[in-house]
Amino acid sequence: MNLNIEMIPMSDKLPINPQPRLEAVNLTKRYEDGLLALDHVSFSVQPGQVFAMLGGNGAGKTTTINLFLNLIEPTSGEARINGVVSHQEPLRAKEQVAFVSENVMLYPNFTALQNLDFFAQLGGKTEYTRDDYRDVLRRVGLDESVHDKRLKGFSKGMRQKCGIAIAILKDAPAILLDEPTSGLDPKAGHDFIRLLENLRDEGKAILMSTHDIFRAKEIADVIAIMNEGRLIMQEAAAAMVGHNLEDVYMQYIAGRQAQLQN
Amino acid sequence: MLRVIIDKEMREMIGSTKFALTFAVCAILIVLSFYIGAANYKVSVDHYQAAKAENLQQLEGVTDWLMVRQNRIFLPPQPLAALVTGVSNDIGRTTEVEARGELASHDSRFNEEPIFAVFRFLDLSFIFTVVLSLFAILLGYDAISGEKERGTLKLALANAVPRSTLIMGKLLGSFAALSVSLLVALGIGCLLLPLMGVPMAAADWWRLGLIILTGMLYFGVFLTISMFISTTTQRTSSSFLLLLVVWIVGVLIIPRASVLLAGRAVDVPSVDEVGAKKASYASQLWKDFRHGMASFKGPETQDVEQMMNVFNKYMDSLTAIRDEKMNLYTAQLNEERYNRQKVQQAVAFNLARLSPVASLTLATEELSGTSLGLKNRYYDQAMAYQKIYAAFLKEKTGMNVGGRMMVFKVKMDGEEEEEEPIDPNELPAFVYEPPSVPDSLQAATGDMGLLGLLNILFFAASFVAFRRYDAR
Repeated sequence: MNLNIEMIPMSDKLPINPQPRLEAVNLTKRYEDGLLALDHVSFSVQPGQVFAMLGGNGAGKTTTINLFLNLIEPTSGEARINGVVSHQEPLRAKEQVAFVSENVMLYPNFTALQNLDFFAQLGGKTEYTRDDYRDVLRRVGLDESVHDKRLKGFSKGMRQKCGIAIAILKDAPAILLDEPTSGLDPKAGHDFIRLLENLRDEGKAILMSTHDIFRAKEIADVIAIMNEGRLIMQEAAAAMVGHNLEDVYMQYIAGRQAQLQN
Repeated sequence: MLRVIIDKEMREMIGSTKFALTFAVCAILIVLSFYIGAANYKVSVDHYQAAKAENLQQLEGVTDWLMVRQNRIFLPPQPLAALVTGVSNDIGRTTEVEARGELASHDSRFNEEPIFAVFRFLDLSFIFTVVLSLFAILLGYDAISGEKERGTLKLALANAVPRSTLIMGKLLGSFAALSVSLLVALGIGCLLLPLMGVPMAAADWWRLGLIILTGMLYFGVFLTISMFISTTTQRTSSSFLLLLVVWIVGVLIIPRASVLLAGRAVDVPSVDEVGAKKASYASQLWKDFRHGMASFKGPETQDVEQMMNVFNKYMDSLTAIRDEKMNLYTAQLNEERYNRQKVQQAVAFNLARLSPVASLTLATEELSGTSLGLKNRYYDQAMAYQKIYAAFLKEKTGMNVGGRMMVFKVKMDGEEEEEEPIDPNELPAFVYEPPSVPDSLQAATGDMGLLGLLNILFFAASFVAFRRYDAR
């Protein structure tokens, strides 16, 4: 299919909500070695919305998430969580967000329940009981027989389910997902998407960075493409129905490279 | 929040296979060191008792105190010297005491049983120095870099947890888990001492408690160093390698290199040099003595006994003058050598204190009474005993006996009287007084304080480094 890049412009057709849960405003990050990792990136994620950031390695996806988590400070601009600027009030901002990372190993010598208990308490949730933890683990698809098993014997998919269970327990209005389906087998990937759908239905604002165009198309409400630190496209998924997302992605990347060469 | 992190750290630490294996080895070695120490102490006590009995036995049948030339005294074994041997096996334990003259000790444990000098003992000091530091490194090297590799650091920092709370919780949790485990092993070791018949006085328990406290401070230094290195590296393999280098340099190189450097930097006259000077002066004094002896002019009397009495008194006065001169000269030479040694020691120890091993070794040896001061203390007490012994012999014989002296006794023909044997048990007993607990503590306080300071310094460094740690 021959796509015109101009066909899907940086759109003003995105659903607008006056109170976005996650918001990047001219977010820029230049490292000490001079590398411009993020260049004036702006977007917002509304409640009940899945925002998928697509892009290759080094595009700036993880940097964006790190800025929301205040693991690094922005050179300029702001990352806001529920209106709180991350680098100004990091602790208050992080109360409003849960995080699921790529390849999280968790504590291999702890059982699934122990891992959940620790991170739930770290997230300020001290009222949960073991039954609550079991409910969440069942919800993410972990069989009861493994709840008391140490994580050292868990597959990547099982650990990822624990990671999402931790995020669910935190019950924060926003969720950040960094390459959450990386390395998951098709069944686990499918289950994961169903979980995200549930969370979206609960009104969570979800920002997901991914390489996985197929999964992004399946779940995202808004799709953004990042390349070399810039947000070169963002569009409502509904507006892209009928387009092959992979082709769109390749077109934008090629178009951006041509721009840079000129 | 802090409690949650401490609790998690303790459970994670104790639940790991790595902990189970390293702690099992560590605990076995600790208990073994107490067992070996107690067994060694009992052997030393047996040797000591046998040597004392043999010393008295050799005097049996002697009928005149004038014939008692050599009385041997022995450094008694100390219970804590079995745990922290220090220099106790290197110095002479036996001293032959004459009523006059310089004292020299011999028969060190390593001299008698040189095989033990090859690899030294598996004492508590060794366990602390080598095993405890390795234990701390093995369980602390991945404190932060390991969390980063597992992704749990980023996940933890995605919550409203201040970094200061996280690092504080990690340090307190791991220190609590490891030190409580070690204290259990040390407690079992301590119980072995009374069970194996080692007489531990209240002061000994105080000393042992302080030695263990010093060991824990030393362990804390290596744990905080591990934590610090872990906060300055991104990968566990880098942390481990770096810590291994720190361990080799700190534990194996610095203490030995310091002594070598001090030996080069500060000259101390050798024992042979000092001995040659003493011999030369003694020879000169002997010449004077012989001249003095030749110029003796006795009273004009036919009474042989009166003549001999006057002669003995004359000789006695000559000997006293010679001894006084010799003692003064010896004391001067010894003091010069001692002062140079002190300078050399100060240089060596202060250089060695770049490593926490030096502080641990010096503090625990002071507390157990086996530091370098043991030799001087034993020597000083032997000298004090020599005076008591000389006074005893003077009381028994009426003259200053000892040294190279000649005593003339006149026995008239037909004067056969039954001579009673002396009672060797009348000999004054030598009692070694170890330094008091407050004195030992005072001597060890500096090094204990230094270890405490290093704990604070490395913790502060970890704290600062972690605030800037790249947790991405």
